[in-house]
Amino acid sequence: MNSFELAVRSVVRKPVKSMLLFLIVFTISLFLLSGMASKDASIATQDKARQAIGAGFLLAENEANRHIRIDEVLNRLGKNTEGSLDGVHVEKMELAGGTSWGISTDNSFETLQMADIEKIASVPEISDYNITTAVTAVNPVNFSRIEDDDTDQSSDMGGVSLIGNKKMEMDSNVLSGNVTIKEGRMIQAEDSDVCVISKELAEKNHLSLGDRLTFNDYHDREHSTVCEASIVGIYEVKQKMTPYMSGDTYRSENVIFTDLDFPEKAEGNKGNPLYEKAYFKVRDVDQYDSVKEIIRKVEIDWERYDLIDHNGNLDIMSSNFNDLEKSSQILIFVVLGSSCVILILVFLFWMKNRGKEIGIFLALGTPKIKILGQILLEAMLIATMAMLLSFALAPGVSKVAANYLVEQQVQQEKEQDLLDEGKVAKPFEELEQTVTGVTVDVSLQMLLFDSICISILIIFSVGVCGILVIRRNPKDIFSEMS
Amino acid sequence: MILNVKNVDYAYQSQKKKQILKDVSIKFEEKRFYTIVGQSGAGKTTFLSLLAGLDTPVKGKIYYNGEDIRIKGLNYHRKHHISLVFQNYNLIDYLNAEENVRLGGDRNPKALLEAVNIPCEYWKRNVLQLSGGQQQRVAIARALASEAKVLLADEPTGNLDENTADEILALLKQTAHELGKCVIVVTHSKHLAEEADEIIQIKDGNLIFQTDYKD
Repeated sequence: MNSFELAVRSVVRKPVKSMLLFLIVFTISLFLLSGMASKDASIATQDKARQAIGAGFLLAENEANRHIRIDEVLNRLGKNTEGSLDGVHVEKMELAGGTSWGISTDNSFETLQMADIEKIASVPEISDYNITTAVTAVNPVNFSRIEDDDTDQSSDMGGVSLIGNKKMEMDSNVLSGNVTIKEGRMIQAEDSDVCVISKELAEKNHLSLGDRLTFNDYHDREHSTVCEASIVGIYEVKQKMTPYMSGDTYRSENVIFTDLDFPEKAEGNKGNPLYEKAYFKVRDVDQYDSVKEIIRKVEIDWERYDLIDHNGNLDIMSSNFNDLEKSSQILIFVVLGSSCVILILVFLFWMKNRGKEIGIFLALGTPKIKILGQILLEAMLIATMAMLLSFALAPGVSKVAANYLVEQQVQQEKEQDLLDEGKVAKPFEELEQTVTGVTVDVSLQMLLFDSICISILIIFSVGVCGILVIRRNPKDIFSEMS
Repeated sequence: MILNVKNVDYAYQSQKKKQILKDVSIKFEEKRFYTIVGQSGAGKTTFLSLLAGLDTPVKGKIYYNGEDIRIKGLNYHRKHHISLVFQNYNLIDYLNAEENVRLGGDRNPKALLEAVNIPCEYWKRNVLQLSGGQQQRVAIARALASEAKVLLADEPTGNLDENTADEILALLKQTAHELGKCVIVVTHSKHLAEEADEIIQIKDGNLIFQTDYKD
């Protein structure tokens, strides 16, 4: 009779012993699969979120360098000299207290250089890019803006704000998830003289898609050229956009998104744009750091710019998923650790209860290693059945486990928020960005990993307990049996 | 001569090296029925375990067919040279009678069970459902299933009533005289001992050959 035949008979005809191991392995397998599925779900969702949110770099003007550049232009212009050079204007003003020198800059000095933006955009690892103009105050000609009735508007220029974008979908307000389209569409690169207005502005002026809004320079409302833009979309916000400056001109509802060239036209500066920032979307977010290095090597005047990491809400989102991933990982380690201890105890119990059987086999001349092999075979037979059952039930159980972990994490965050309330200063009201659920799948890879883990655990446990058999003198067993 | 014990010493390590066997030498022949007697603690079972290769002597050697049993290994010795029968039968409790016999070797288990008078309706029964006498007969059938030429039995009738013990005794004698095996039985039973071809008494670590049973 070979070991397999003996193992099968032992498993079938000693059901209590088999059932004990079956239940233990079944539980271990189920917990392991749940842990892995939750971990995998969090990683998969995290990856999807990363790709969906996107990751990129923001190019903006370096403020310190701006002052250096102004000083350089002033030096070139000469001390106490009126005039204009490279977008810097020096004006002599005679005031009651004496002579004063006024220094101002125009768009040509302040703007990001289109040539530099295009050089960065040509890096193959950059999948797309956007240019955003500075917030441009203009006069609304054929519509009324939203105003706070209780505020004195005499110090405000009475305008609305325009934000021009090459592609509105990559505007920071859109990427953050704060601005979403309620009606119509976003502005595309090929659009010209179009705008997207807030739902509040649309309601106040009874505006709808296709209507045309007119704007002109607020400095000269009567004579400046009027520019027209048709409404292609109406947006809504989750929370009001942070005003660029004080006054109702810059209030959130009065912000109008336009195509890239429109703000310069509306403020009477055609051909002299003010690009405030450029956003470059990284093709593969996993290559984020290496892409940054590549961009840094692009030959432009880097002293003039800041290259800012721009991950949208990735960090916040990631922290949610990371917690879930950590919880899952802890679950896996705890299950593996405790399983090892439990299995060793189970096999110690097996060995102790099977001393007589081991003795009989030794007396019959069966090598110790073959006896251990039979015990291992029995354990593997039971484990295989337990794992098969756990494989069948794992998808359902994993979902429950993952959702439980998510609930725990959400609860923990809420408690932390309550503890932090009034203690931690926040620059803005955080958006609701909590994970409410994850899609859990049990993959073939997980089943394979589960099988390997449990097999290793069983082999290790039988091996550890087998030392008792290996070290035991057949004479002692024989004496006990006699 | 199938087994040759030569100048064997044995002492328990755990009992302050208490000497059990002192320079023991003895030869066992095939077709003979030996009984080993002696007081409790005299070293009967120890001597049997040395013959079975379950333990090794402190000094001296045991030869099987002229070859030291340690050369091919004690496992090999137990598997091919000897077969064992115990007082408490020691059958595998999750196997039936036939399967237990198959553990002993390749000989036809049904024929062996028939030979030891186990009715065929019991062959497929779990051994725990058999009586003590039946279990011991299954154990003897298992011992006979191997090609081993030596059958060692430790108090094989110790747990059996008189009639069953007689049946087992007859089986053992039959094994020695008809099957040509060397049967060595450790016993306290005067009746069993007297049925042997040779009675060996262990006393003060020495082996004494007797013609009659003397306790």
